[in-house]
Amino acid sequence: MNNKIVIDPVTRVEGHGKVTIHLDEKNKVKDSFFHIVEFRGFERFIQGHPYWEAPVLVQRLCGICPVSHHLAAAKAIDQIVGLDPEDLSIPTQKIRKLLHFGQIFQSHALHFFYLASPDLLFGSDAAPSKRNVVGVAIEHPELAKKGILMRKFGQEIIKMIAGKRIHGISATPGGVHKKVSVKERDYFLNGKEIPSIDTMIEWSREIIDFIKIYHDKNKKWLDEFADYPSGHLGLVDKKTGFLELYDGNLRAIDAFGNKTLDDVPNDDYQQYFYENVEKWTYLKFPYLKHLGKEKGWNRVGPLARLNVCEGISTTQAELERLEYFKATQGKTNNKTMYSHWARLIEILHCAEMMKSLLEDDDIVSNDLIRRGERRKEGIGIIEAPRGTLMHHYEVDDKDRITRCNLIVSTTHNNEPMNQAVNWVANNVLNEKPEITEGMLNQVEVAIRAYDPCLSCATHALGQMPLEISLYDHSGDIIDVKRN
Amino acid sequence: MKNNTIVLGIGNIGRQDDGLGWLFLDFLKEVGFENIDVEYRYQLQIEDAELICKYKTVIFIDATKENIKNGYYYRICEPSDKYSFSTHELVPETILFLANNLYDHDPKAFIFGIKGYEWNLEIGLSKKAKDNFNKAKKYFSALMNPSLVES
Repeated sequence: MNNKIVIDPVTRVEGHGKVTIHLDEKNKVKDSFFHIVEFRGFERFIQGHPYWEAPVLVQRLCGICPVSHHLAAAKAIDQIVGLDPEDLSIPTQKIRKLLHFGQIFQSHALHFFYLASPDLLFGSDAAPSKRNVVGVAIEHPELAKKGILMRKFGQEIIKMIAGKRIHGISATPGGVHKKVSVKERDYFLNGKEIPSIDTMIEWSREIIDFIKIYHDKNKKWLDEFADYPSGHLGLVDKKTGFLELYDGNLRAIDAFGNKTLDDVPNDDYQQYFYENVEKWTYLKFPYLKHLGKEKGWNRVGPLARLNVCEGISTTQAELERLEYFKATQGKTNNKTMYSHWARLIEILHCAEMMKSLLEDDDIVSNDLIRRGERRKEGIGIIEAPRGTLMHHYEVDDKDRITRCNLIVSTTHNNEPMNQAVNWVANNVLNEKPEITEGMLNQVEVAIRAYDPCLSCATHALGQMPLEISLYDHSGDIIDVKRN
Repeated sequence: MKNNTIVLGIGNIGRQDDGLGWLFLDFLKEVGFENIDVEYRYQLQIEDAELICKYKTVIFIDATKENIKNGYYYRICEPSDKYSFSTHELVPETILFLANNLYDHDPKAFIFGIKGYEWNLEIGLSKKAKDNFNKAKKYFSALMNPSLVES
């Protein structure tokens, strides 16, 4: 006889997932799984298409971070036309980075204000009818309004450069198709029609102040909840080892900060990564080959990025990073709930970077396109909002894509999210006579900290719910949470 | 405010009849109704609450699976605080609620649903959806400007 809990769907995440937790006769947790139950196969159906279509087609993977897929594919396609990232014109590099920072800014704002803040503001035990963005709007209207306008700012940056807020087009092989006009950039600088970039920086600072106070008040819970050792992976600047979101070397560290991947160039990623498949989920499990699948998995995303980098290149965000690491005495942070704080530091960094780029005359230059010597293969790796995103294409002599491999941020976080679910199962649900809705929500809180995009990760299409199932010792479902 | 009315078309033209909302916006642009702005959406987003505050009237147009006698409906939309599981499924009523609550704005709001039948990964409406689309166009034209309706 086995007990089993099902949570289906997991809520306030981007995608459709399901959690099952198996209990024995004494309600002791035997096992737990985080399943991704969608599948589509972008890697397959893009084969045969001309390579220049890749940045346009693959962004359809997602409605939240299409820019990340667009730019990762664009970097790969640049290589096919003979250009490495540093070979692009300076204006192109800066326009693409501005697009990328706008994307991360809006995506992080979406996650924090709409998906994560209800848990922080109302607590896991609050009624589900209150624990959502509508509840935030009712009880914290000023916070909700700032969230809306911060997300809008990032989306307007995307629209300026790519033409549309979702599924626009900016990158072409070896460049971008348009510059930014002076009038367009003034829209973001002068604050006449929308709050200015200076206001975005100010609000980013305010929300970091909020999370710091929240950490002071809830230190024990935030320090202990889903705290487990793991590897961490991210891009770092090739020269300084600082936080790098658009183009850098791959660095991984273990739970204690020892390097497990020592600033590897993007083109060499295949030598180091392997993807394991499990029959109970469509999501693969990437790991570092030389460490094996038990020890080689890594978290990616804001928490991991702050762990692997040696600094941040913008003034205010760097000060916040230093304060953030005081919580762990400068050591690697393995505490899942610190992801939110890390994400907000990245929001501030993106705002500072956008200001710098908007004030840079290079973005209004016409020097946009470069050409090189044709290659047969291209690899593009960037840091998407949720973590390291890898695109790899091979093409034939007729310019058709013959092979495509995508390792998406949430795929890297598959094992970490399973570990998080396991932690909650063992530390919150284990041997409890009654499983409450608030307890089950803590499973979701742990998953939500990763801001998973499950449809991206399986390259899937469909509805976006997540379910948690609790099975009893006889194998019967005794509780299902489905929203 | 550029115009008095905004029409938000929701859907995806790559999913057959799910494209009804967007195709209707194409029609509105083609006819050139006065005082109407249009916005294309795969799904509604929370920031749409801020957008609609610039308008006196809001119309949400979407394909529907609901069984409707005429193939379309045009209904008043009332604010509601109901909330779904993710950002992928915000309903017009919630957008109105947020506009009310956050911005103290209470526009006239309507939902224009057009019945669809096929939802596969293809471009183009099914025959029955096309019929409903034409009926809906005629109805909306009469609503906006009776002189444009063919006798």
